[in-house]
Amino acid sequence: MFSERAAPTAQGLLAPPAAEPPTFPRVAVAGYSDCSQPFQLGERSFSRQYAHIYAVRLAAMRPGLERRARSRWGNDIALRRLSELQAGEKCCVVGTLFKSMQLQPSILQEISEEHNLVPQPPLPKYIQPADELFLEDELQRIKLEGAIDVQRLVTGKGQRWLCGGTTPRALAGADAGCAAGTIVAVYGCEQDDGLFLVEDHCFADLPPPLPWSGPSSDRFVLLASGLGLGSVSGEALLSTQLLVDVVTGQLGAEGEQSCAAHITRVILAGNLLSQNTQSRDTINKAKYLTKKTQAASVEAVKMLDEILLQLCTSVPVDVMPGEFDPTNYTLPQQPLHRCMLPLASAYATLRLVTNPYQASLDGVRFLGTSGQNISDIFKYSSMDDYLEILEWTLLAGHISPTAPDTLGCYPFYKSDPFILTECPHVYFCGNAPHFQSKLLQGKEGQRVLLVAVPDFSATQTACLVNLRDLTCQPIAFSSFGADSED
Amino acid sequence: MADELYLENIDEFVTDQNRVVTYKWLSFTLGVHVNQAKQMLYDYVERKRKESSGAQLHVTYLVAGNLLQNGHVCHKVAVVREDKLEAMKSKLSTIASVHVYSIQKALLKDSSPLYNTDYDIVKTNLQHCSKFSAIRCAAAVPRPPPDAPRAPAPAQGAPRHRDPDAASTINGHGPPAARAPPQQHRGIMGMFAAKAAAKAQDTPKETKAEAKEAPGVSAASSKPPTKNNIMNNFFGKAAMNKLKANSVPEQPKEEKEVVKPSVTVAEPESSPNTVAEKPGKKTESARIQQKDKKSKTKRANRSDDEEERDPENAKKKRKRIKQLQSDSSDEEADVPPSPTPEEERPPSPPPEPALKTELEPACTEVSAGGRKRKRKRVLKSKMFIDEEEGCM
Repeated sequence: MFSERAAPTAQGLLAPPAAEPPTFPRVAVAGYSDCSQPFQLGERSFSRQYAHIYAVRLAAMRPGLERRARSRWGNDIALRRLSELQAGEKCCVVGTLFKSMQLQPSILQEISEEHNLVPQPPLPKYIQPADELFLEDELQRIKLEGAIDVQRLVTGKGQRWLCGGTTPRALAGADAGCAAGTIVAVYGCEQDDGLFLVEDHCFADLPPPLPWSGPSSDRFVLLASGLGLGSVSGEALLSTQLLVDVVTGQLGAEGEQSCAAHITRVILAGNLLSQNTQSRDTINKAKYLTKKTQAASVEAVKMLDEILLQLCTSVPVDVMPGEFDPTNYTLPQQPLHRCMLPLASAYATLRLVTNPYQASLDGVRFLGTSGQNISDIFKYSSMDDYLEILEWTLLAGHISPTAPDTLGCYPFYKSDPFILTECPHVYFCGNAPHFQSKLLQGKEGQRVLLVAVPDFSATQTACLVNLRDLTCQPIAFSSFGADSED
Repeated sequence: MADELYLENIDEFVTDQNRVVTYKWLSFTLGVHVNQAKQMLYDYVERKRKESSGAQLHVTYLVAGNLLQNGHVCHKVAVVREDKLEAMKSKLSTIASVHVYSIQKALLKDSSPLYNTDYDIVKTNLQHCSKFSAIRCAAAVPRPPPDAPRAPAPAQGAPRHRDPDAASTINGHGPPAARAPPQQHRGIMGMFAAKAAAKAQDTPKETKAEAKEAPGVSAASSKPPTKNNIMNNFFGKAAMNKLKANSVPEQPKEEKEVVKPSVTVAEPESSPNTVAEKPGKKTESARIQQKDKKSKTKRANRSDDEEERDPENAKKKRKRIKQLQSDSSDEEADVPPSPTPEEERPPSPPPEPALKTELEPACTEVSAGGRKRKRKRVLKSKMFIDEEEGCM
């Protein structure tokens, strides 16, 4: 999008200085409203159990799922609770999925002395063929199994998702392509041996659509994540500088600068600091050795402040915290404190926002996370593709179903803010291994642009979303290193 | 001619100073628009190459355009050396921009000198880093700085209102927590100053100490008892009971109740005011009440002899306090020295303790007040003994 517009004046700066060069005004934000109040925690109390969040989740999603079940399997199907099940009767049950995985890290196993086990090293995936799937509702749980058909489904053939015919994935059994904590409606019957034989299942599907009131002219939003400041290697530093220069209009010929003036917002989706800043070596060393050492994150945050200052003097910026950023660990992560960014927070264009972040920019609803929810599902399911997982969470109607099981979460008890009640227009996740994007069309007219924002420190790529037509283009930066190419 | 000046400047930078001259560096140094700087660099390179006076110049270019990568069209922005320029241009399907990025005498192995140059020049111009950029943003205005009145504002809602754009957490702890540390110092120093001022007036100080002790006792329920327990070990149970007896009946006193609001978070500022004023006003009533409360002669003697003995006490108190300081293991260590140098200081503006600081000064004051009283008591006794011994 940039290139076509900019091409005519591409070589314009290969000339002696001419008349006064033009400056372009930044396209103003027509409408911005922050919709992430549910993710902002006020007074926090950790004295509650996590069971409440599951109960609330089930209660909130049950009506929608029952409606879906009726529309899918007929109006006259029997909707039963687990306690009302009769053997042999075909019925539909709505409940929470629970996957019992042997390799799942368990703190109790680690500290159990009778096992004398060394704590398990972190694995990329914790799935195993012997994993079992259970369905839980308010009172009971039952083990799920499939018939011959489901066995085929297990290996990933044949079964289709509810809408749109996307990548086939199975539900029950070994190759479980889904994650625990999801609310699902299963259709089948209970066997004599107490297992539930599943014939079909469905999730909540896309939430109802939001009205579209996007801009009529080209407006861009830059999505970047994983800046990774404070890392030992400095290769990505020039690329970060190039990114800032493109957005602030210093780099490029006139055509490109005028296109860059149409970037109305920059969203930094997490991991502004690198994982290296999290090193806890100082804990193991003696105090007298580490007295004068400063945490690596201090220097990194100073660098971040300078970069944000350069951005903030030119464009509104939304900063989301990520896995390695100095904020709380559990989801929803609260905004970074502005005292860490004294230079940049002097500007009104800087907004420090929560980790699942929802906002309406120029009539387009954005919803996204810094990627912890997707990478957690990646670890506990056989799905490999970040975009696929992203789409799956949208279809399951929940941003992070694995919280609080395997992903840290605040013990909500009144309502689960991660349930998707409205369908966003742009749904993104940060810190993906590479760039991916897809436009999803829903049955009720929903149009969602799914974007997997790549990790900038590894890929030097960011994303430009055009709000007018919901398209997304990656923008890659490179400099020359010791090796000639890239 | 003005036009030629920049050529000479660039020549000087590149050849004489052997710098890496990036367009951004030149733009900030000469104070020109970035596009002009790029054009200047280009002009310089062209002329220099035409002259071919033998000086080797290495140029890096910035190329941007569309590139087909992994199945999608990616907008690529790359800094390339001159020898790779054509190769990169041919890779791109559409070229969006080409311009000179930097000029330097030496051949660059990698791009870190470029980054360093840009980093340095931006660092020195942080406040107006977008001054010469091609894009102006009307919305990028600095926020109005938070003024002093905001700090003592009692309601924690005030800072929230003041930062409408700050997406800092609505969590009630957010803004006040940021304010708490500086206020804490003010609070503690203020407390010391207030205490010292009261100390200048003997009885007001007593009452103040007691007054402050009461809110301390009522507020920090856990701390004073623990401090009292620690003091127990030093001063003996008798003194302990005295202290408790004094503190408990003092609570129902009306002045204490007026002072009590100081405990609540909502009005930290009014209370020190009242506390500072109250002792002054109610010294006599307090004194009388004190005397009423006293059950032991030592205490009565102390209050009677307070004025007379105070100069001596002050001196000896200093000594004693320092000695006792060595005994004590609490943080009261810092409390006694500070009242002494601050004795002459008038009551400073009232401190604005946040909830946390309230507890601490109150506690230190509780302990300090208790300490003082205890020390006085002990001092008296010891002095009596000393005097007796002296007499004897």
